[in-house]
Amino acid sequence: MSNSFIIGQYVPGSSIVHRLDPRTKMTIIFFFVIIVFLANSVGSYGVLIVFALLSMFITRIPIHYIVKGLTPVWFLIIFTFILHLFVTREGTVLFEIYTFKVYSGGVIQGFAIAMRFFLLILVTSLLTLTTTPIEITDAIEDMLEPLKKIKFPVHELALMMSISLRFIPTLMQETEKISKAQASRGVDFKTGPIKERAKAIVPLLVPLFVSAFKRAEDLAMAMEARGYHGGEGRTKLRALKIEKRDIFVYILFAIVIALLLYTRN
Amino acid sequence: MKKSKWTPLNITLGSLFVALTAVGSNITSIAPFLVVGGVPITLQTFFAVLAGIVLGSRLGAFSMFIYMVLGLAGAPIFAQFKGGIAMILSPTFGFIISFILIAYVAGKIAEKKRTLPMYIIAALTGTAINYIFGTNWMYAAYLFWFEAPEGFTYKLAWLWMIVPLPKDILLAIFAGSLAYRLEKITLISSKIKNQRHTA
Repeated sequence: MSNSFIIGQYVPGSSIVHRLDPRTKMTIIFFFVIIVFLANSVGSYGVLIVFALLSMFITRIPIHYIVKGLTPVWFLIIFTFILHLFVTREGTVLFEIYTFKVYSGGVIQGFAIAMRFFLLILVTSLLTLTTTPIEITDAIEDMLEPLKKIKFPVHELALMMSISLRFIPTLMQETEKISKAQASRGVDFKTGPIKERAKAIVPLLVPLFVSAFKRAEDLAMAMEARGYHGGEGRTKLRALKIEKRDIFVYILFAIVIALLLYTRN
Repeated sequence: MKKSKWTPLNITLGSLFVALTAVGSNITSIAPFLVVGGVPITLQTFFAVLAGIVLGSRLGAFSMFIYMVLGLAGAPIFAQFKGGIAMILSPTFGFIISFILIAYVAGKIAEKKRTLPMYIIAALTGTAINYIFGTNWMYAAYLFWFEAPEGFTYKLAWLWMIVPLPKDILLAIFAGSLAYRLEKITLISSKIKNQRHTA
């Protein structure tokens, strides 16, 4: 568990998709989510499928990682397809199962919606498969910059995201440690009536809170000692930069949009 | 130089609650823990309520907002170690958004009066928000993403959610009283108690 956790969704690599500026990837995905809803013909779906599969192969991420990321939604995709199959009553009757009539309209409708959802999931998960949360944090900070005008704490948002990322594995280990320590003192988490087991939450959470608060205080003190004074005038270790490949990808995506608009009904 | 709105302690505490919520969402797989009828409990709502009570409404809500953004950015911190931007399409994403509201409202209630009954009320209100917002979102998501036909009614969505309701009500009462106790135990001697007024 812990190993897969630290890595998260990200799969390291050096493909062009990995090296793109995270802002480029986020912008493109944002627009992709919108244009998926514009597709309404075989041709337009074809354009999107080619685009999605092409990006998937360019990343050179092993297929089984991608499939693993999709597993939670397979059920939804199939469920939607079946729902449409039985409820939509358009077109000609294809065949009957008991008393349910399956119409051709239902098959088409169900397939289209399932495909749309599949495309959305596939392309969006490519972002988190090829980009580390830290990169995304940097991109978010940069892209939300205009919100500073309305007093939205953009810098604090990015800083807190980074601190949280660093603390999540620590607190997970801490929880594991505490639960083992308490179990060795005779706290029973696994058996007995529900009421008793619910009470066992107290000897787990109280030490967890004590240590978490202590960590927060220590870190705050360290930050103060180093003269932290907010985001004003700070420079960055990892500066984001738009490269030629980003511009190339934008142009490519514009062509995809043009093709989509051309092929839709 | 303009001074930051939040002190370093505000920032670190807010982050800690993000991490705590991440732990709480998968507590059953970290610590051998309560599994009721095969369904592992999560403590997300619990920590959202607590974030509101301990950090105050604004910082608490902001902390839960970061939990959401961080999960979307790919850290596997949602229930069942899910994460990634594709989660935004999941019909259950409304529950994650509701944590922001929960923290805010629970914080507002607890800021009025810091007594045990108020804490329990805050926790129960939080659970109610969780259900109302989450279920409506789920229904809307099915309509929007899947264009669900008439077969899927609003009633059906609620029937689906009624099953774990008693468990969550009990958990809420428990969360309120535990929040009260935790605050007494852990915060008495620390300066964290004072930071609330500055947040």
